Amino acid sequence: MSVLEVRDLSIRFGGLQALSDLSLDVNEYEIVGLIGPNGAGKTTAFNCITGFYTPNSGTVKYRGQDVTKAPPHVKARMGFGRTFQNVGMVKSATALENLKTAQHAKAPYDVASGLFGFGKTWQGEREMTERADAILDLLGLQHIRDQRVGGQSYGTLKLLELGCALATDPDVLLLDEPTSGMGPEESDELGERLLLLRKEFALTMLVIEHHVPLVLRVCDHVYVLNFGRLLAEGTPAEVQQHPEVVAAYLGGEAPEALAATVEPEQDLAAEAEVEPAPEPRKAPRKAAARKAAPRKKAAAEKETS
Amino acid sequence: MAVLEATQTRALPRTMLGWVPRLAVMAGLAYLLLVRMPLDEKFAPIYADAAIYAIVGLSLNIVLGYTGQLSLGHNGFFGIGAFSAAYALTVREVPFALTFVIAGACGALFALVMGVVALRITGLYLALITLVFGITLENSLFEVSWLTNSGAGQPANRPEWLYSDTRFFYFCLAFLAVAVYLDFMLLRTKSGRALLALKENERVAEAFGINVTAFKLLAFVLSGTLAGVAGALFAYRIGIVTASGLGFNLALLFVLLTVVGGLGSRVGVMLGGLLFASLDYVLHETWAHHVNDFVFRWDSAPQFAVGFLGALGLLLTIVKYPGGIGQQIRPITRWLAGGPFTLHDDRDSGPAAVEGSSVRA
Amino acid sequence: MSAAAGADLVALEVMAPAVTGLVQGSVYGLLGLGLVLLYKSNRIFNFAQAEFGGVAAFTWIFFDTGKGFLPDTPTPVAVVIGILMAVVVALITERLVVRPLFNAPKITVVVATAGVLLLLIAVEGFLYGGEAGSFPAIFSGDAINEGAIRVTNQGLAIIVALLVLAVASALFFSRSRYGTAILAVSQEATASRLVGISVERISALTWGLAGFLAGVAGILLAGSIGLAAPGSLTGLALVPAFTAAVFGGVTSMPGALLGGVVIGVIESLATANIPKEDLPGSGQVVLFVALLLVLLVRPSGLLGKET
Repeated sequence: MSVLEVRDLSIRFGGLQALSDLSLDVNEYEIVGLIGPNGAGKTTAFNCITGFYTPNSGTVKYRGQDVTKAPPHVKARMGFGRTFQNVGMVKSATALENLKTAQHAKAPYDVASGLFGFGKTWQGEREMTERADAILDLLGLQHIRDQRVGGQSYGTLKLLELGCALATDPDVLLLDEPTSGMGPEESDELGERLLLLRKEFALTMLVIEHHVPLVLRVCDHVYVLNFGRLLAEGTPAEVQQHPEVVAAYLGGEAPEALAATVEPEQDLAAEAEVEPAPEPRKAPRKAAARKAAPRKKAAAEKETS
Repeated sequence: MAVLEATQTRALPRTMLGWVPRLAVMAGLAYLLLVRMPLDEKFAPIYADAAIYAIVGLSLNIVLGYTGQLSLGHNGFFGIGAFSAAYALTVREVPFALTFVIAGACGALFALVMGVVALRITGLYLALITLVFGITLENSLFEVSWLTNSGAGQPANRPEWLYSDTRFFYFCLAFLAVAVYLDFMLLRTKSGRALLALKENERVAEAFGINVTAFKLLAFVLSGTLAGVAGALFAYRIGIVTASGLGFNLALLFVLLTVVGGLGSRVGVMLGGLLFASLDYVLHETWAHHVNDFVFRWDSAPQFAVGFLGALGLLLTIVKYPGGIGQQIRPITRWLAGGPFTLHDDRDSGPAAVEGSSVRA
Repeated sequence: MSAAAGADLVALEVMAPAVTGLVQGSVYGLLGLGLVLLYKSNRIFNFAQAEFGGVAAFTWIFFDTGKGFLPDTPTPVAVVIGILMAVVVALITERLVVRPLFNAPKITVVVATAGVLLLLIAVEGFLYGGEAGSFPAIFSGDAINEGAIRVTNQGLAIIVALLVLAVASALFFSRSRYGTAILAVSQEATASRLVGISVERISALTWGLAGFLAGVAGILLAGSIGLAAPGSLTGLALVPAFTAAVFGGVTSMPGALLGGVVIGVIESLATANIPKEDLPGSGQVVLFVALLLVLLVRPSGLLGKET
């Protein structure tokens, strides 16, 4: 079941073609990685998908529905949860307030009632506070519940931001470099967390990442971007060996060296019997440009199987 | 940094005992402000003005303090409220109660237009255009003959049961109470959180599912309604509405009131209203009278004293005490609300709070 | 109607207001120069600009008429003292208000200048008294007096002053070291310091210049109207001056000149041709609409650069 279907997405800023004919798929319960060197257009792709930018051409479909032109807040209501590269939260508010703000779309009362205190206002507020507390507990952030977000450490902020994304009650989570600023242990923990969250909340994820071990462990499928174009796609292992990908990351050393530090047993994605689990993909491709026809064939095969 | 990371626990006092001193202080203040003082007919008009300015302060606070929109033309909504109420009552013979609805609606309408403008024009340019709007109204719309009774001023006569100035003050106070309630509810519910979020970071607000455009407009409409109603109250307080005094000077006064009172501080803004309503009186009738005369003895022009002190207050506030009165009394208001009594404060304050960043101390 | 009557009508409804507008617009342009200067250097709108001019005007009159204990001073000297006073006030503003707010958001500084405006009005009030004082024109007589069209010598002086100062400031910014230094400080204060530019001195220089421009504008304007009370210069000219500055391009000195003339003519034509019964204050309304349109369509103004 396709959750996100992006086709031929292109966007141009003045003289710079930031994305050229990007196509990618995210299927239900998958954790898909989006990697590539800095400036490749990953965040730009996110912004197009979530509605912050309007692409010049191409489509974005959510569970079959064309949402290309939908504004960000509408997408948030539909189920797009998102984090930002520079940590997107209301810094002058407390952690609790942030988590309640994030539940805006799901509040059980409307603006007018809220203004006068009618209807489910107070009950709704209580429910949202409870939910916020639950998320704080889940992420181990109860200690900063009533503290201003602005004074927290970067790692805490990233975690809280993830919490806010969860608070929007998402169907698909788009995470922009969730491990930036984290050391190796913290990143591992985050990887574990993402897998756990997928299981507990039945989530689908699209993750921009630089941290290769995380990508290897957690992602079911990976897309590689460079200069706004899709360079390669496939399972993490396949992509890692891909010569063009290696070349894009400045020489063959970096991925191999990192790969050597990861033990093969930790390839959880292959081992996991977790429910919900993604369906395995058919014949992943190495081509830089996608063709629509073979895709349909693969989709048809999936449906009949 | 230690101050910034101070834990801001909102734990209410554990025991009932903790509330006793707080309630006692609040009761004492309430008695003083609401019973003892207004009973003197002489002061009632000043208190009425204070209540009216307090409502305006709250309305400005919504747009400036909560939403971060640099709208400085609120005197326009106020004036429209005043004129429309007076016109409706006197020329169209609309029932008294309905004139308030009309005033609020007119204020809301003009504010909505301003809000739409604010979607495209931001920052200093918005400040400029809204100020010009407020000033232009004084010489154009407020001079239209059918509105202003051909320049003689549109009468706005109170109904008989409000002839007493003291009664009228309580009447204004009732409106203020409603305004405070709305403000309180705004902050406590999702709308307030939405405004504060979008003020600081529009993209994040959108990602949280907040329709930023709709909420910006909502802030303006709410603000305009309050200002319009305040204008109606003012019309009835004065008895006759003319354009003079509703233009540039008023625009500056409202900004003064909000800044000196303290942006984002409900209590501060209301105290700011009280301050400016009573300044004129204080300078001329009390002991300050002598100081006033001494300072202004040279070819004396007493009407400038208010402007002088107001300006001085504004400058001092901005440069030295960006949070205004609100910030200075925050230890007290925080204590009264059930928190600890401490002099530490890590809140953003002052006009700087409008742009979501701290002024360096 | 006959050709002669037709020509008269054009003269009345178009030419005369246009000429008046030209002179009035030059006043706006003169004030606008100071506004643009401060926007270029500090990225703020100085709401006290017209009242710097007011201070200059009142000081000039004080000395010229030998008020109080002051000796009777010849007009040229009084004018110079007046302008100097405006410079001093501007420098004080810079030192006590602008500099402490160096790192504050711009709106804070703008509101502070509004505070300075109020303060200046109050000071003028208690030094001079509340009623309007009379200000004789420095250049008396008429330059042109032909039928409906009339330009006084004072008016001509204003136009000339605007031209001279606009050209001088444009040259100042493009050619002189100080001009470049001002621009450098406005964009990168820290880097400027590192290359040896004293940010404090440049800031003082900028405001001093703004004070000078305001002083010239204020004295000429007061003499042109003949009558001024504390705050009236601001009431009359500040908003149009802002509109002119933004219209012409708030980062362009020649823009202030162009904007001033355009705004002045537009206002004048509107006031002359839209009767008061239909729309009172039509000049102001038209200006408001003009400002709104510029900000919506092209905020950088006619000659300004897109930022």
